[in-house]
Amino acid sequence: MPVSRRALAAAFAVCVVLPLSACGSGGGDGGTADASGKIEGDITFQTWNLRANFKPYFEGLIADFEKKYPGTHVKWIDQPAEGYADKISADAAGGTLPDVVNVSPDLVAPLAKAGLALDLDKAAPQYEKEYLSGAWAGHRIPGMTGTYAFPWYLNTGPLFYNKSLFKEAGLDAGQPPKTYDEVFDAALKMAEKTDGKVATLANVPTIEDFGRYGVELMNKEGTAFSFNNAKGVELLTKYKELYDAKALDPQALTATPESSGKKFLTGAVAMNPGSALDLGNFKKQAPNLYRNIGITDQITSTGHVNMYVMGVMVNARTKRAPAAVAFAHYVTDAEHQMSFAKQVAIFPSTAGSLDDPYFTKEDGTDETRVRVAAAKSLKNAVNYTPVLFSEQMKTELRNEVAKALQGKESPKEALDNAVEACNRLLQQQG
Amino acid sequence: MATSTVSRARRPAPKVRRPEQRVRRQLATSPWLFAAPGLLIAGAFILYPFVSTLVNAFTDRRTLIPGRFVGLANFRELLNDDMFWIGLRNSTLYVVGVVPALVVLPLLLALLVQKNIPGITFFRSAFYTPVVASIVVVGLIWVWLLDERGLVNSLLEAIGVGRVGFLSDQWLLLSSAMAVTVWKGLGYYMIIYLAALANVPRELHEAAAVDGAGAVRRFLTVTVPAVRSTMVLVGALSSVAAFKVFSEVYLMAGPSGGPAGEDTTLVMLVQRTGTGLTGRVGYASAISVVVFVVTVALMLLVLRADRRDES
Repeated sequence: MPVSRRALAAAFAVCVVLPLSACGSGGGDGGTADASGKIEGDITFQTWNLRANFKPYFEGLIADFEKKYPGTHVKWIDQPAEGYADKISADAAGGTLPDVVNVSPDLVAPLAKAGLALDLDKAAPQYEKEYLSGAWAGHRIPGMTGTYAFPWYLNTGPLFYNKSLFKEAGLDAGQPPKTYDEVFDAALKMAEKTDGKVATLANVPTIEDFGRYGVELMNKEGTAFSFNNAKGVELLTKYKELYDAKALDPQALTATPESSGKKFLTGAVAMNPGSALDLGNFKKQAPNLYRNIGITDQITSTGHVNMYVMGVMVNARTKRAPAAVAFAHYVTDAEHQMSFAKQVAIFPSTAGSLDDPYFTKEDGTDETRVRVAAAKSLKNAVNYTPVLFSEQMKTELRNEVAKALQGKESPKEALDNAVEACNRLLQQQG
Repeated sequence: MATSTVSRARRPAPKVRRPEQRVRRQLATSPWLFAAPGLLIAGAFILYPFVSTLVNAFTDRRTLIPGRFVGLANFRELLNDDMFWIGLRNSTLYVVGVVPALVVLPLLLALLVQKNIPGITFFRSAFYTPVVASIVVVGLIWVWLLDERGLVNSLLEAIGVGRVGFLSDQWLLLSSAMAVTVWKGLGYYMIIYLAALANVPRELHEAAAVDGAGAVRRFLTVTVPAVRSTMVLVGALSSVAAFKVFSEVYLMAGPSGGPAGEDTTLVMLVQRTGTGLTGRVGYASAISVVVFVVTVALMLLVLRADRRDES
């Protein structure tokens, strides 16, 4: 039996030593794979919940790339939307990150800091001029030099409202609110008329809402958050009034974009932000709502609407950097972004694409009206979500906002606490 | 001839394995060979993650950044983290609210479905259905039922009670999640009790009945003592499961853990803190260690109480 004891002891020692071996300094280097050289070899390409609806598009795209560059082979992986960040983090931590990855700017930031995202300003600077300057800058990280992903598609959208609920509340459905003050007034009237049974909004303010309201979110150096300023407190105070008057849905404190979308779909709330993509959903899932749908511009106090940016990142540790960079560029170039935009209600980030008649001429339908208006607004839109604003920070802000709405803290105290917590997390991110 | 004699003399004598030695060696090694696959799996998926968590708890490791040894810093931070205390409170409340119900109600249910009457199989299956249903489906159904405009609130409004904020009030939300846990666990523990009840000698009940004991008295003096060890087992299993609750609360309270995160449980906090690209793996591991220590303590407490009762 002594042998067995030794074996057990050895196994235990391995268990103890292996995790310890992971300790030490790491990250921060890399990001400089050489993208020059022959475009060949096998690469992997990961998308974010796109296979279900766009399988033929991506299969065609990959086939065309492989034909253009003989000797290349692209293996396409698609991950579900739920837990996408967790999947990427598991791959990144395990060293199995695909060569080309579909990302959003907030996902790029930690990957770039860990040295896992290729710096395109060094590896492929020749492509910068092909994209809108704001979109290219969307994947820059405060505190770091470089750009860490190709801009892919952009999205923005109008504010939808339920005309019949507006009429029932005695509001003019033909004159929807255009400013924050008008939205808040309409919401309070709606709550009063319906005795609190119909709320106008279903979401608590997020970081994008603060940005759109004109609140300065971070200091100029990008080293600390600052949304606890007077403007931020003003917005939260107004939301508190809405919550008390039941103009904000009581379940808003725990709502997600999906759950508030469902509330709008069922007529429980009167207004909801969305995109041109939603019109199809309304038509299919709620024909009654679709007949009564009102569309108005996204509310903003800054003159710039919010946009969401999607990107395509190249793994800095790829063994096939030339092929990976070439493919990431191929997916996001003007021709392919345009063909993708014609399949789904998204907008290309390449320079000049938004001037295409597809985005400038209406044919009288709601779809084209929303598309043309969104494309126009995108030319000077802003991605208000700071790239360093992590999921943990979003939770901190949401929890403090909820405390303010419940009256457990004043709006100022709540925002001070949220900023303090977010700054602490920012420092811990390094 | 002389040469061959010398060489034969130098050649080492062949080893003769005695049969008893061989048998002894086989007896020593063969159990380990049989156990090896299980040990390997347990080592890779239980022992290694456990030790890894233990080690990480003393580092500032993040998802993409290997950590440095920070001693007890994570545990010190826990003491000053309001969310940790909220998580500990909610997990403890969950044990207090759920365990008594899961010890008593399945026993009563088992007594009801124990009898062999026509159609009883249907009821046994029906009560067991929630156990096999996916927790995600169960959670979504209950969210739909308890929504501000859900079926339950519509009924309450119809009878004049008015809408109740099952999913917007901190305490109602936690209580609703507890109710779902009990509802889903009833069938599972009912099966365990059914097995225990089948072993209760019928003569004891008959003797008690002859002595004039009614149904309630027979339950308290015959059934309960006979299934006491099963009750302890159910108590131990359900208390550990309740302390580690995640899915029910996550599905009903949302990823933020209810209004202002007030319904967060410890395991939800581990998930929220330690996952994602910016996850604080070291800190989340420290919370996991606390969960482990408390669950072990809970088990020991239940088992010690059982031994004291027996003695």
